[in-house]
Amino acid sequence: MSYLSIKNLSNRVAGFSLEDICLDIEKGEYFVLLGQSGSGKTRLLEAIAGLDPSSGHIYYKEDEISKKDPEHRDIGFVYQDFALFPNLNVEENITFSGRYREIEDAQDHFEDIVDFLELKDLLKRSISALSGGEKQRIAIARALYSKPKILLLDEPLSAIDPTFRNAIMKKLKEIHRRYDLTTIHVTHNFREASYLADKIAIIMEGKIVQIGAPNDVLNHPQSIEIAKFLGFKNIFPTSLIGDNSHFKYFSVDPNVIRIVKEVNDYCDFAFEGFVEECMGITDHFKLFVNVDENHFFIKIPKREYENCLSDSKQSITIGFDEKDVSYI
Amino acid sequence: MKLAYKNNSFNVALIVLAIIIVFFLSVPILKMFVGVGSDKLIDTIKDGEVISSILLTMKVSLWAMLFVIFTGLPLAYLIARYDFFGKSFLEAIIDIPIMIPHTAAGIALLSTFGDTGLGGFFKVFGIEFVGTEYGIMIAMMFLSAPFLINAAKDGFRKVDPKLEKVARTLGANPFRVFFAISIPNARKDIVNGALMMWSRGLGEFGAVIILVYHPMTTPVLIFDRFSSYGLSYSAPVAAVIIGFSAMVFLIIRFIANRFD
Repeated sequence: MSYLSIKNLSNRVAGFSLEDICLDIEKGEYFVLLGQSGSGKTRLLEAIAGLDPSSGHIYYKEDEISKKDPEHRDIGFVYQDFALFPNLNVEENITFSGRYREIEDAQDHFEDIVDFLELKDLLKRSISALSGGEKQRIAIARALYSKPKILLLDEPLSAIDPTFRNAIMKKLKEIHRRYDLTTIHVTHNFREASYLADKIAIIMEGKIVQIGAPNDVLNHPQSIEIAKFLGFKNIFPTSLIGDNSHFKYFSVDPNVIRIVKEVNDYCDFAFEGFVEECMGITDHFKLFVNVDENHFFIKIPKREYENCLSDSKQSITIGFDEKDVSYI
Repeated sequence: MKLAYKNNSFNVALIVLAIIIVFFLSVPILKMFVGVGSDKLIDTIKDGEVISSILLTMKVSLWAMLFVIFTGLPLAYLIARYDFFGKSFLEAIIDIPIMIPHTAAGIALLSTFGDTGLGGFFKVFGIEFVGTEYGIMIAMMFLSAPFLINAAKDGFRKVDPKLEKVARTLGANPFRVFFAISIPNARKDIVNGALMMWSRGLGEFGAVIILVYHPMTTPVLIFDRFSSYGLSYSAPVAAVIIGFSAMVFLIIRFIANRFD
């Protein structure tokens, strides 16, 4: 049995439901749950932590923790807005679990966390006098201090200034390794997922729709909806490129579509169409080309073309290669 | 003072109307102290009957407040946190005492806890409501509990449920979460509500006089002296209870603010 095994987890509250969620997470895995706002990500984390009543079974190793109250599940939870206790100072927040649980080597553990997360100067401060980044470190420290079996992170980077996000992503990875954690990280950002994840699951409307290694999930979406969510552009029926395999759709990156002089052998696939719109953005043009009512989106670096192909309805030939096609 | 608009006539209208209401709110209180005179005030403070009546009123109002803290905070929390059938009806029941005449409330209490089956039931435990401190307490509680319950309800609503959820994951059971997170983070509203309830209880007259004439609370004593001896005997008592209440109110408010 996996380290954490979720079997047929369902719940329904206020018209939204999680449906038959099944996940297996291995020890030490950094598991990213990827989904849009309102897809049920936070609800699923709360159900795992026992904070949201649900049916189904959750096993930690052989132990069925779904029958236990949240305070007995040993699961650490860091909310998107950190949920620090305003009535307690930083140190009291971090050591809160020590009031209710026996923490092994508590003092050494506390000092180690404080040193690693650089919190020493903040310990006596009030919560109201902290920046977003400081609050996040304290929320993580508070969860780590309780020595959780599993750490749940609910969109931990969304309330952080974008300029610090890369540094914090790196820190999250370090924390995961240093404290030998099994982490479930919820996000809507697939770049974040691709950097952090050992395994990714995509959740849509309360259902897990795809799960696998980051490279597989992010590059080979199993449905057109997943592809659109992952930011795939130029999604068209495979009949357009004469493909007879079981795939229904293909997608091609706007950056690899080229403008060619004529339909010739330089590209594996080439199409004639006309320009619908050309927009000049800082270092590239965004070109919208209509090929038999299939609307291609192409990005052309400005250094390659001096002038935008701004004439509406101007005929154009575009092409791309087989190796750049992703099948869906 | 900086005013939001530079339109003079608008500002003048605001100030004049504000002065009118401040006049009606403050002058009678000031007149009580100025009109009574210091000799009479000192004599009143030395009057044992007045002092014991003030202490009784403050003590019983405090008991009523503590009883509602014990029972009303859980009710306020239930209403703030959960949706359930009949919630609006329950909220309306809590607000009813604010709307009904206090003498009517006294009659309702007497009909319920007087010489009735329920009154007899409490008698078994040595609790009688007619002519006792219990009667004063229940009258004060009935009419002023909504102030504390509603304030606590608003306070609990302001506490992010995520704080309580995180506390659960950190090992605190629901009781510990309630005492360690919910109450401390709603304390400002709870303290304000408790002060409001306590001070409202001090002034309760209509319901108290129907249930309990003796021992006399201060409002009943003021009425008794007014009806038996006239204004000059009742005004100093009124001034002293106002002074005492204001002092206690300010001290508690000061202490509460220090802890914020």
